[in-house]
Formats: sequence, C-alpha cells, structure tokens
Amino acid sequence: MIVRRTVALLGLPAVLVAAWWVASAGSTDFYRPPLARILAAFRDTWFGRRLLDDVAPSLARLAVGYTVALCAGIAIGVAIGASPRLRALTEPVLEFLRAIPPPVLVPVVILVAGIGDLMKVLVIVSGCLWPVLLNTVEGVRAIDPTLADTARVYHIGGTLRLRRLVLRAASPQIVTGARQALSIGIILMVISEMFAASSGLGFTVVQFQRSFAIPEMWSGVLLLGLLGVLLSLGFRAVEARVLGWYHGLRAVARGSR
Amino acid sequence: MLDVAGLRKVYEGQGHRVEAIADLTFRVGTGEFACLVGPSGCGKTTLLRCLAGLLAPTAGMVRVDGVPVAGPPPELAVVFQEYGRSLFPWLRVRENVELPLRAKGLPKARRQSIVDDALAAVGLADAGRAYPWQLSGGMQQRVAIARAVGYHPRVLLMDEPFAAVDAQTRADLEDLIRDVWRRLSVTLLFVTHDIDEAVYLGQRVIVLSAAPSTVDADLAVDLPDERDQLSTRADPRFTDLRTQVWSRIKRTTALEASP
Amino acid sequence: MKAWLGVLGLLAFGGVLEALPRLGLVPAGYLPPPSRIAVALADQAHQPTFWAALGDTLRTWLTGLAIAVAAGLVCGVVIGSVPLLREATASTVEFLRPIPSVALIPLAVLLYGTGIRATLLLVVYAAFWQVLVQVLHGVGDVDPVARDTADSYRLGRLARMRYLVWPTALPYALTGVRLATSVALVLAVTGELVIGTPGLGREIAVAQSSGAVPAMYALVVVTGLLGVAANLVTRAAERRALVWHPAVRT
Repeated sequence: MIVRRTVALLGLPAVLVAAWWVASAGSTDFYRPPLARILAAFRDTWFGRRLLDDVAPSLARLAVGYTVALCAGIAIGVAIGASPRLRALTEPVLEFLRAIPPPVLVPVVILVAGIGDLMKVLVIVSGCLWPVLLNTVEGVRAIDPTLADTARVYHIGGTLRLRRLVLRAASPQIVTGARQALSIGIILMVISEMFAASSGLGFTVVQFQRSFAIPEMWSGVLLLGLLGVLLSLGFRAVEARVLGWYHGLRAVARGSR
Repeated sequence: MLDVAGLRKVYEGQGHRVEAIADLTFRVGTGEFACLVGPSGCGKTTLLRCLAGLLAPTAGMVRVDGVPVAGPPPELAVVFQEYGRSLFPWLRVRENVELPLRAKGLPKARRQSIVDDALAAVGLADAGRAYPWQLSGGMQQRVAIARAVGYHPRVLLMDEPFAAVDAQTRADLEDLIRDVWRRLSVTLLFVTHDIDEAVYLGQRVIVLSAAPSTVDADLAVDLPDERDQLSTRADPRFTDLRTQVWSRIKRTTALEASP
Repeated sequence: MKAWLGVLGLLAFGGVLEALPRLGLVPAGYLPPPSRIAVALADQAHQPTFWAALGDTLRTWLTGLAIAVAAGLVCGVVIGSVPLLREATASTVEFLRPIPSVALIPLAVLLYGTGIRATLLLVVYAAFWQVLVQVLHGVGDVDPVARDTADSYRLGRLARMRYLVWPTALPYALTGVRLATSVALVLAVTGELVIGTPGLGREIAVAQSSGAVPAMYALVVVTGLLGVAANLVTRAAERRALVWHPAVRT
C-alpha cells in the first residue's frame, strides 16, 4: 500500500526529471543546456551571496505587502460585508477596481512612489487587496442567520462576536481570497522587479537572460517555480489548521448525502 | 414572567404584505411550562422571534419580568430548531457551551465548572472535546440545550427543537427537557407542531389559529407531574386532552379552508 | 434601490478622485482628475494605434484562452475518467500548478523574442491549470449513486459521458473558464507590459515612460473595463448554462 502510494506520488515526477536529464544530456543547443549544467548553475548561483542580496529582499517585500493587504482587506471587507447599504454603495466600484489587471498598476505606482522598495510593496498591496477584500465581503454577508440570532440571544457582541463568529464564519471565503492573493502577489513581486529594479529575484533572472547566461537563467526559472510551490505548500499547511473544522463539516455533509 | 399583549406582526415586502400574527395576548407565569401548538405555517416561529427580541412586532408589546422587550432580553435563552446551524461548527462542544459565559465575563474556573455541570446534565460529559458536526442530530440538540442550561436563564424558549430527530431520540429528549425544567425552575415556552408532544410535556397548551394567528384555546394539562413515555401516553386523560387539542386545530384549519 | 446606491457609489468615487487633485491634496501629475482622464480616453479613441493595441490585446487574450480551455477540457476529462492516470498525475499537477507563469518570462523571450507567441505561452500556461483542476474536480464529483445507476443500465462509454460525466462536470468547467478568463487577461497584459508584445500593456508602459499621465490612466481604465466585461459575460454564461443546477436554482 505504502509502496503503491509512493510510486503514485513520485513516479511521474521522477520519470519526467529523468527524461529531461537524458534528453538534454548531450545537448549542444545554446538555449537548452543539459540539466546537469543547470543544476550546477543553480548551486553556484543561488547558494551564496545572492540568497541574501536578491532572494531575501524579494521575499521580505512579498511578505510585507501580502500581510498589509491581508489585514486591510479583511478589516475593510468585514466593515462593508456587515452593512447591506455600504455593500450596495461600494459594489460597482469594487467590481471595477478588482477587474483591473494588477500588473498595469506597476507603471502607475512607479509614477507615485518611484522605483524603490516602497513601490514594490505598494504594487503587491494594491494587487493582493481586492481578492481578499471581495471574498471577505462575500463571507461576512453569508453568515448563517441562525448563528447570528444565536449570538444576539446570548449577548455575544463586540470583539467576542468578531473573533468567534464573524471572522470564523467568513474564514472559508477569506482563505479562498488569500490564496488568490498569494499567487497574484508572487506575480507582482517578480514583475515589479523585472520592470524597474537593480536587485531582486525578478531583476536577476531577467539580467541573466539579457546577458545570455543561459544555464543561470534556467536555474532562476527553476528557483521561481520552486518558490511558488513552497509558498503554496506553506499556505496549505496554514489552511489545514485554520479550516480543519470546515473540511470536517464538509466531509460529514457529503457522506450523509 | 412572560407577558404578551396585543401582539401583531405584518411583513411588508415589495408590493405584498403578509399578516403572520393578527392579535395575540397571553401570559406565562413564573416557573411554568407552557406549550404552544398550531397548524403548520401559523406564525409560531415569528412569534418566538418576537418574544426573543430578534424581531420587532408591528404592534403590541412583549414583557419579560415586567420589562418591555426591545432586543434580546438578558436571562432569556433560545433553543432553535436547526441545531446544525445554531451551534458554532468551528468551536468544540465545550467551547460552544462556554461562549455565552465568556460573553457574561465569568472567570475561567467558574466557566469550566458550569460547562462540566451543563454537559453532565444533558448526558454529554464525555463529548466536550468533539466538534458538533461529529455528533448525531440528537446529541447536537443536547449540546444546544446544555448551552441554554449553562447560561442559567429565567426564561427558556424552544422552537420545535425536536422536529428533526428520530422518534426514539425524541422521546429521550422530551424526558430530558422535563428534567431540566424542574431542576432549573425556569419559565419555559415550548413551540411545537406535534400535539402529543405538547400535551405530554406542558402544564398548559396554548393553541394558535392558522395565520394570521390568534389564541384559539388555552388548556390546562391536569396530568400528574411525574410523566412517563409509556404510562402517561396511555392515560385516558392524556388521550382526552389530545383529542380536544386536535379538534381545535382541525376546526381552525377547516375554517381557513372554507372562507 | 440597490442599483441606485451603486450608481451613487460610483459618482462619489469619481467625485473624490476629481476633488483630490483639484484641491491640491494630491499632485495632478500623479493622479489626474477623472475629467482629464476622460478627455484622454476620448483622444485615444481617435487614434488608430489605440484600436490596434486593443485588437492585439483581445487577440492574445482570447487565443490563449481558447487554447487553454480546449487543452484543459480534454486533459481533464481524459485524466479524470481513468483512475490510474489520475493517481499517477496528481502530484505532478500539484507541483506544476503553483509555478508562477511569470517565471517563464525569460524563457518565453529567449524562445520567441517579443512576438505574440511569447505572451501566448504565459497566457496558456496560467489559464490551463485553472480549467484542468476544475474539470478534474468535476469529473471526480460524479454522484456514486448515479454511477451505479448507469452501470445497472449498462450505459455505453459515450452515453455515460453524455448523460453522467458531462452534466456533473459542466458547472466546474464553467467555473474554471471564468477563472481562466480573468487570469488570461492578467497574463496577456503582463506579457505586453514586461516583454513588450504589442497591445494595451505595452501602450501603458510607453505612455508612462513618455510622461503622458492622463493617457496612461485612460489605458488602465480600458483594461479594467475589459476585466469587468469578461466577468459579466462569464457569469451570465454560467447562469444560462446552469438553470437546472441546484446552485443556481435555489
């Protein structure tokens, strides 16, 4: 059983990597270097000063921007979601702001905030905010009326109500929004650096491409992919903690159907 | 303790209005166990929401302990019909019972001992660590009852609490609620559409007419205080009361059908 | 009532944006008032380059979307209906999906230069996973009772596809298409902005670097309107195709 599952889990990835390795082994194509060389470049390029100079600042900006967007999105979303009138008032504006493709905000923010760290963080905030905000509004709006009545009857109000009812009830939607925001955040982290920067992950990778350092560029692509995968795994671990009750509830509802 | 005077509720929608309650006046004395029955759709839930202060009536007044109701009164608890939706699914059973006590601002040790007692009173002493949705329907409703018990209300409202559980569980829960009522000496208003249940549980049965509802009859249940699923239900007096309520309800629905 | 409040909200939003630069609270060089953006927009509408850019963006966006949807549907149905295949590919899908498509930008430039194909690669890669994952969910969600019913009536492979798998998977597939549509727009504009493929994204970058601020905002508004239109169309399509479905009916 365990063997079978391991094969299912690792079988295809192993085959694909092996196929890449073999197919590229003797490659003399300048643009498609052998996988062995890419991996060597990966080790030489990223496990050194670059980790501190390029990777860490990129991730720090992502973390700051994402956190700010998350907090602001939830706070504003709770306020709007709790009031039907405010919701009706803001809905078309929010629909429009959400629909703007976040990358076009890069030139706009550069105009206002220059090309420093602030610009990159602002770009990430302005892109990540909307999915969190709109999903929070949706989640708060859809709080079960019986639960809301229960809270009223037992005089559960104020911060207790916010923490134990509103935020928890909306948490499945908030998590959905946060997941969308994370992938947008990664995109914005990379392209804000590609567009205008002198350091950072996105900048370095584009630099490699422009200077035809091909194995290094491939290794950068690998690193970006790896970061995406790791962040999504981390997100899932957090989600499993926050939404354990939700998945359990869903499984029960499904089983009795 | 619970005083309803000239209560009227009309729902105003866009272009249509529904009169759910025409004119209701009754009172439930301190420590009394009253059951409210009526044909389905007669505005029982509307009434209960007005009593609990969740819904503002169009006219008339509700008083709890002499104080007019505007918003949920203190020392009043409600057990809703939809147990699956009135328990917080992200909190464990213990935390569900504890939450209203937290809102009251009780210290932790006090909360813990109240929760222990309340869960023991409904026979769920061992289920505290579970999530509500891991329990059967009957057990979930026990949790909701434990939450109400722990809150220590002076008035307890129950809205068809056993409508969604199977017959055996229902009988157990009925006896449990009689037990809780006696132990807490709480004023209890129990809304149901089940005539047998109303007669079996209450000291008094208030019969509502079809919507827009009024009080159609108010019968004292003169059965002995010790009730038992087998002997009480076999008592000729039980059958007699049951028939009286039945005929009342049939009459109101028949009147409704031929206006 | 609700619609009027929404209109009021839009007017208020526009009013605030108009007032901020006019009162000098925000430099007009950063945030020109909407009236000036509107003028710039009207100005754009008279220029053939604008329409060409709009056409380019639409072409990249919709071509990429069509490829991604077709590939996602086919792969999803095939992988989803063969349990062994599903099991074997699960980890690979989970690994490839979160790879940010912008990671592919240097590769795309290297392989295709600044042509439309470079951006198409990004669009297709990003949109494909949205469709594939939803279709996989959908095919996996076929009601076991319905499956048993189909077995007991000895439905053939095609009939099963037509009456069992397709109706179950359709709502999921449409959700996938809706998500893919907006992701595809984002990546199309990104490619134009960063790589320089012809389209609105490139025009925005050009307007920014040449200091034509109102024109830049006008173009941003146009991309936003494209996004709104995409949302409206895909949501309407979802509703129409699913009138019989409980999620829509109730």
